[in-house]
Amino acid sequence: MERGKTTGEMSAAELADVLTQVRAGDSDAWGELYGQYAPAIFRFCRRALPTREDAEDATTEIFMKVRQKLGTYDASRPFTAWLYKVASNHCWDLLRRRRIRQDLETGDLETLPLEHPDPDQLAQLQTEHDSKHVRAGLAKMPDRARMALVLRYYSDMSYDEIADTLGVRRAFVGVLLLRARHQLRDILAEGSGGMRSATAGGKA
Amino acid sequence: MNHFDEMTALLYLEQQLDAAHTQEVRAHVGECRECRSLLRALELEGVWLRQSLEADDESVPAHLVQAPEADGTPWGWLSALGLSAGGAYTMWSGFIEPWRAQAAQSGFTQGNILTMLFFSGAFWKGWDAMRSLTEFLAVATLGVVVIWLLRRHLRRVTTLAVVMGAMLMALAFAPAGQAAEVKHGDPNYTLPAGETIHTDLFVFGDSSTIDGDVEGDVVSWSRSLTINGHVKGDVLAFSQTIRVNGPVGGNVRVFCQSLFLENEVSRNVMAWAGDLTLNEKSKIGGSLTVGSGDAELNGELTGDLIAGTGDLAINGILDRNSLIHAGKLVIGPKAEIKGQVKYEGRKQPEVSPSAKLGSPIAVTIEKRSSDRSYSSPHFYVHQILLWGASFVFGLAMLILMPGFFFDAAGACKRTMPAIGFGALFLIALPILAVIICATIVGIGVGIATLMFWVVAIYAAHVIVGTWLGDRLLGETIGVGPALGRMALGLLILRVIGIVPYLGVWFSSLVVCLGLGAIVLAIYRNMRPHLATAPAA
Repeated sequence: MERGKTTGEMSAAELADVLTQVRAGDSDAWGELYGQYAPAIFRFCRRALPTREDAEDATTEIFMKVRQKLGTYDASRPFTAWLYKVASNHCWDLLRRRRIRQDLETGDLETLPLEHPDPDQLAQLQTEHDSKHVRAGLAKMPDRARMALVLRYYSDMSYDEIADTLGVRRAFVGVLLLRARHQLRDILAEGSGGMRSATAGGKA
Repeated sequence: MNHFDEMTALLYLEQQLDAAHTQEVRAHVGECRECRSLLRALELEGVWLRQSLEADDESVPAHLVQAPEADGTPWGWLSALGLSAGGAYTMWSGFIEPWRAQAAQSGFTQGNILTMLFFSGAFWKGWDAMRSLTEFLAVATLGVVVIWLLRRHLRRVTTLAVVMGAMLMALAFAPAGQAAEVKHGDPNYTLPAGETIHTDLFVFGDSSTIDGDVEGDVVSWSRSLTINGHVKGDVLAFSQTIRVNGPVGGNVRVFCQSLFLENEVSRNVMAWAGDLTLNEKSKIGGSLTVGSGDAELNGELTGDLIAGTGDLAINGILDRNSLIHAGKLVIGPKAEIKGQVKYEGRKQPEVSPSAKLGSPIAVTIEKRSSDRSYSSPHFYVHQILLWGASFVFGLAMLILMPGFFFDAAGACKRTMPAIGFGALFLIALPILAVIICATIVGIGVGIATLMFWVVAIYAAHVIVGTWLGDRLLGETIGVGPALGRMALGLLILRVIGIVPYLGVWFSSLVVCLGLGAIVLAIYRNMRPHLATAPAA
């Protein structure tokens, strides 16, 4: 599983050494660990949360949490996987606590979009919108849909991990992702002059 | 096989189908151009999504490059605590100390070392210093709030340039747009008799005397203000002593130590004063609202009277109803009260047999707060009711604004910044409200600000209670668990709050923490909720 996106890769041995020192209370080692992973976690938060300020706050809080919970980390598993798990849980908790009424979203999970995309218009949508448009569109999406896309297509999480983080059954992760793709297409199509048919026109 | 649907295509691409189903799809794709086209479009969309998400078009904030220290000291709460100290000093020296001195003159001479150190020594420089401090505090508070709200945007040079440019423009154009006389810097300002000011008059001085006429409002911030001329508008004043000897065409709203009213006020009077005296020649055309230490009403009042005072002596004419809360009420022989009087106080009113009353006085005698008994079951029933009221208030908050509620409870984690900001706003907000009343927007906004302040103080307990419950039972999601945690937290706060002496200090700390958390949550919710707009 690719979690990369850190600045200046640290070898497994170096990482293990740094983690040991951090657990022993070495603040220099903690600074090194933070410097290595904070940019990546900030970028993850920037995509998972709606505003830059939220992402900044969340990054700080995640690393506070990491420092507290480092004792529970199982060294036999990849550190980045654990770190992203902590980060994704934190971001999702934050979003849920802000909008507890959206718990009702779960009820819609089984509803599949009925219209299939027209491949040509889908291709046109991708041509017309660059990464900035996609990121702006993500910020407008419902929290759960945005998180699903980020966990899958940015953090490369498996369906099991996504289900665990978002608190849904594994069987619904695919539905969640498909619905999220449709929502993003609609948002982008609206932004470019109501190209609503990006999600329609195919087989029923 | 028939055409497969988009869901199947996605699961196929993401290798989530079982082997048999995968083989079936693969075989169909080989034969069906339409499904092959859909599969290709979805695959490209996946690639496009990954590339878009991985595109690194934003820099990492500089303050995230360094590891945060658990015990770090952010500038925010340090400056907040500093300003709180300034505000506390101002409030003490401006309002509490003069009252304390007055009490000392009346025989209550228990001085303390704090008073001696701060107010009899080098720090006490009298009212001038107090005025400067108040002005400084007001400007500094506004400045800090503005900088705090804009602090993230200030990193951008363009925003900084716009803000600085706007300030320069405001400074450059302010005199041209000013429709008022402003007198500042002259310690003893006098508007001579015979002179007329045709606009509003703003006076900042040690001693201000207005012998001439003012056609607009008079707004004064002086140690002593004497109005002998005719003011056609309102009088808004913050002073130690205010004498209104001339007629006032509008309202009188004052915040002072002593107010003497000796002429006619056509509209309403609202006074927060140490002493209030309405002499026999005075007449108020509207209502009188007064909060004061002692008050003597010897003139005529056409409207209603609302009074919260220490000793209140009435020896004049009251044409309408009165609602009085006073330590002691004396109705003298010249008193003529035509409306109803409702009186609440600790002592029975003293009524002269010669006084003329339209109807009997409705009297309610209060019990002293020291009468509360820890051994009485009523006390505990009362506490349970108070706990229930807090819980219902919290429930309403949780239902009406769940996001804000959890944001505020979560903000309690930042204990020191929250306490710092809470202390600042606890002190600065009422001062700001008074300033708003006088100079900026109007009394409505000022009173609304004060009401918000009161509600926020009450809500502070609920927020801290919820946070405390979370700390004890662990954070969770959903309304039910949150209510349980809030109930437990509020119960603990109330139990500690009724402990003698400790309870008062503890409750103060809770108010500061909760108020700060609310402020931090408001700030979080005021921030823009969308990411940067897409490029055109």
